[in-house]
Amino acid sequence: MRLDIRELGQFNHLASQGAQRAAASLSQLTGVKMNVEVTDVSLVTDSVLQETFGGRNFVGVSVGLEGGLSGETVLAFERERAETLQKLLLNKAGASQALAQSSVSELGNIMIGGFIDGWANHLHEAINMTPPTYLEAKGTRILPRETLHAASGKGVFLFESRLEAMNVDLDFSIYMLPEYQEFVDLLSRSPSEPAIPANKLRAFDGLAKRGAHRAAEQIGMMTGMETTVNISRIRFVPLTGVPAQVGDETMVGVVFKLTGMPSGYLVILFDERSAKSVASAMMPGGMQEDGIGAMTEGAVKELGNIMTSGFIDGWANVLGTSIEHSPPNYVHDMGSSIMSPVVSKLGQRQDYAFVIDSAIEMGGQQGHCDIYALPDERELAKTLSALPSNA
Amino acid sequence: MAKRVLIADDSEFMRNLLREILAGDFEIVGEAENGVEAVNLYEQEDPDIVMMDIVMPIRSGIEATDEITADDPNAKIIMCTSVGQEEKMKEAIKAGASGYITKPFQKPNVLDAINDVVPA
Repeated sequence: MRLDIRELGQFNHLASQGAQRAAASLSQLTGVKMNVEVTDVSLVTDSVLQETFGGRNFVGVSVGLEGGLSGETVLAFERERAETLQKLLLNKAGASQALAQSSVSELGNIMIGGFIDGWANHLHEAINMTPPTYLEAKGTRILPRETLHAASGKGVFLFESRLEAMNVDLDFSIYMLPEYQEFVDLLSRSPSEPAIPANKLRAFDGLAKRGAHRAAEQIGMMTGMETTVNISRIRFVPLTGVPAQVGDETMVGVVFKLTGMPSGYLVILFDERSAKSVASAMMPGGMQEDGIGAMTEGAVKELGNIMTSGFIDGWANVLGTSIEHSPPNYVHDMGSSIMSPVVSKLGQRQDYAFVIDSAIEMGGQQGHCDIYALPDERELAKTLSALPSNA
Repeated sequence: MAKRVLIADDSEFMRNLLREILAGDFEIVGEAENGVEAVNLYEQEDPDIVMMDIVMPIRSGIEATDEITADDPNAKIIMCTSVGQEEKMKEAIKAGASGYITKPFQKPNVLDAINDVVPA
């Protein structure tokens, strides 16, 4: 089965519109102005779900879908956010626990309804919703068991919309997990180019993970720090949403242009404290530099060079192609400002991108590094299509 | 004389909200938590208007509407839904719904929807 990338983009766009409607409903009910930061979709495994949900207490609302699209949709709030919501919704003391739960369930129902409307209209087919079920659980137990089972097999498509509240600590995500095979069928109905074989996307995910682990090993070798890959996943995201996803924190890093198959960009970013930590660890006698200066720049460029080679060499070997990278372009700016020119260059050829997003923890709490790889989608599709089935 | 309204919604929160919106202008004659209760209460109370949620357990709002209008073709039923899907709306109208309103509600929308169906 070949996944039509344009169709995946269309579903993502509709999910984004749904999230906007959901945010508007929430604003109307609570009086809190909400913005949708970004909507992306990833093919995720059970380990990514564990990274995403693990260790946190959630209050959720689950709604089953049948008809045009089957699956389970979960709206998950961290417990503290849910309590804030309940206060806003009820706005009076002494409301019963049952009413508080009912308010969250109904809110979930309304928001999920807004979320799937566009999809149903796009499919010209009704999507039936089951009544909402109120849930409280820790970690991935907030997700349906079938979803976890599927994630440990072929993986599941995870749509995530992040909502940001103005003036209130109420940021949260809407997670939507359609049934895997049915969603793949929808994306394969009449594939036009570029299209990616469904099974190769999972293979590419594995490749990206191995690349992230190699890059982490390079950091460990260069700095002596213990490194852990915390998150590594492929997101399918509108290019315009990438800068917001990276955020406004000031970052230090390097940007590489990739040439070959696939071409694209690779961006390695450290927050300022982490950049200083790795630079200092790379100098035999530590680093004598106030702030971020030439020594940090040199260290980050050098480390970036080596990490990039580690990251993409494996790709080239498995894909049977050649991928070269440019010299490092050093950057020190807000994350979003660093990403804007990158996405505008890619945006000349595509509206969406598969962004390989990896987060590496260094030396416990000492540092953090994010790697973003943005391959050209047509070339990626072509390369993955040529990948042997056993890759 | 105030119009008599039956509210059918599985969410206690939404029933409360509708009750608050309608208080003073309408008489609430009953509240149902599912489609079966809605049909039973309709038969007992013979309300002027039913505010009917679509997605409910045991029997959906569309099924309940179908059953009510089979017995009383003049029943005035306003579907209340978070689902704005065109296909679902067509299904509801086919079942005999007189109108619909999309959640979340605001008082003017609710009153407009009722006035469209049962003019004062």
